[in-house]
Formats: sequence, structure tokens, C-alpha cells
Amino acid sequence: MDMKVHLDCSAGNLVEANARIVAFDREGAWLEPEPGTSCGSCASAAACGAKGLGSQASRLEGRRFRLAVPADLAIGDRVVVGMPEKALVKAAFTAYGLPLAGLLTAGILGQSVGLEQPLVLAASLGGLGGGLMLARLIAARLTRHGDTAPRFLRRADAGIAPLQRRPSP
Amino acid sequence: VKEYILLFVSAALVNNVILARFLGLCSFMGVTTRVDTAVGMGMATTFVITVSSMIDWAVEMYLLQPYGLGYLRTVTFILVIAAAVQFTEMTVKKVSPTLFQMLGIYLPLITTNCAVLGVALLLVEGHMNFIASACFAFASSIGYSLVMVIFAGLRERLALAEVPRLFAGPPVGFLTASLLALAFMGFSGMSTQ
Repeated sequence: MDMKVHLDCSAGNLVEANARIVAFDREGAWLEPEPGTSCGSCASAAACGAKGLGSQASRLEGRRFRLAVPADLAIGDRVVVGMPEKALVKAAFTAYGLPLAGLLTAGILGQSVGLEQPLVLAASLGGLGGGLMLARLIAARLTRHGDTAPRFLRRADAGIAPLQRRPSP
Repeated sequence: VKEYILLFVSAALVNNVILARFLGLCSFMGVTTRVDTAVGMGMATTFVITVSSMIDWAVEMYLLQPYGLGYLRTVTFILVIAAAVQFTEMTVKKVSPTLFQMLGIYLPLITTNCAVLGVALLLVEGHMNFIASACFAFASSIGYSLVMVIFAGLRERLALAEVPRLFAGPPVGFLTASLLALAFMGFSGMSTQ
């Protein structure tokens, strides 16, 4: 498999994460992110209800992504992927900031022209919809420019994590 | 306008959700090991708190109060929050699957974040109009995000500092949080709303 791998470490600080290769196709490898330290991997994971609400984001299959990786990697290999910190902030602002700005702006405008409370609520919902549409346009542009695409950085440490290692007899 | 500015300062700084009301401490300690995760979590929480509080206000005004169903408030608000998180997930996934892959990991944590429910219940106590409620919820969540990012920055530095063995990790984190809370007490007296 001849794939061109773009290694770019010039983008300042990178946010790194581990992922596992689960499949290959013509355009690259499909990677599945490993659960982060934020949820599901702490000591209280068994008793915690944070993952039990049928959330789509908690299902790792739903978060698979395609990436060009070196040809010598195989299914099951763990790799480190990175993304510029600025891209994460930009993405967070696009996905959440713009719709919120639309919601608040439309609501405040509705209130300032003296609309009734239900109409102010409706105006806010309209602003939220407008903000979401704007976010969609900007997100499409970010994706087209490759600003939010993760990059292959290196192969993750091979071997078993210390906590999973069997004790020697 | 002055009233809204005071409301904003009061909710974000004086009565900060984390450091003055002690809500959302689980995510405060759990997701603040790195600044980038704190930013992602903060933005996602800001969105969910504002949207769910807006819906909670409508539910309270047009359903619970008129029909005398106040005893169902907590259950109803929890349901609204869970629905708002699901709505956010579906929307972000629809708006941009790439952004969903980047930011979606934080959303399941928000459902069980008591700060979201706490802000909604505080709104009911405040008897505010719709826009004041939305501003209060937005300002509270901005205060939450601000503290998350500040604390994550401090913890990133603490990770490199020499700390006595018994204090390493969460203990020194709690000490830092208490100092941060003391610093935020300096805002008290600016606004009493």
C-alpha cells in the first residue's frame, strides 16, 4: 500500500491523543480513538453514571476517523495523532460559540424592541438556528482547508500498559 | 444595560459556580489536567447550560408553575438536561462530523454535571425574565469555563513543580483550588445580586 504521509510539526503546540488502527481502505487507515482520561477510565468508572445515558459520543465506533499512516502499520497498531491547540479552540468556538452568540443576540434584540416573553423565546430559538447554520458553513470551510484534520505523529509505545501487565511468576 | 452587566459580573465572578457555590467539582478536578481539555469541556458546558436553562425557564413558566407541579421540578429539569445534551450531540454531528469527533468526548460528562442542574434551579429562585435568565445562565457558564481554564493552567505548572510526595496529585490540586477560591472572594462586594 503506497500512501503519502504528511508529517507536519511546525504548527506550534499539538494536542496529542492515542488511537488504534481498526481497518484500511484505499484512502488510508480507519482509526478509533482510545478512551481519554476524562471519562470511563477512572477508578470510579464502574459506579459512575456518566457513560450510561446512551450518549453517541461515548461509543468509540461513532468517532472513527480516516487518516493516512505509514505503510508498515497494521490493524491493531496504536498510533499517536495530533492536532494544533488553536484548531481545537477554533472548533469549539465554531461548534458552540456561534450558535450561542446567535441565541443571545436574537433574544436581546427581541427584548429590546419590546416583544412578549414567548416571542423573545421564539426569537432566541431562531437565533440559535441561524447560529447553527453559520457554524455549519464555517465548519465546512475549516474541514475543506484541513484545519481540523488530525495528523499522524508517531507510533505509540508497543507493548502492554503497566496496569494490564501480568505479574511474573 | 447596567442591570445586565451587573448580572453578568455577579454570576461569573462574585457567585462563581465552582468557587463560590461549589457546583461541578467533579469535572473541575477531573478534566483540568490539560488546558485544551478544559477549553473543550468549558465551551461544551457553556452551550449546554445556556440552552438547557432556556428550556427549563420555559418549562417552569408555562408548565410547572401554572399547573402546580413544582414538586416535579428536579426530575423535569434532569430530563431536560439529558435531552439538551442529546440534542447538542446530534446537532454538532449534523453540523460537522469532524468537529463532533474532536469535541464529542466531553458531552457525556455534562449530563451528570451538577452545575447544569444547579444553574437551572438558581434561575427558578431568581424569578427572572427570559433574557435575564439566559444571561445569568450564560454568565454562570462563562465563570465555570474561566475557572476550569485557570485551574488547568495552574495544574500544568504544578505537574512540573517539585511537590512533597504526600501532596503530589489531587492534594496539591485541592490546596491550589482553595487558594483560587480565596482569590475569587476578592470579587465579593462588587455585586450583591
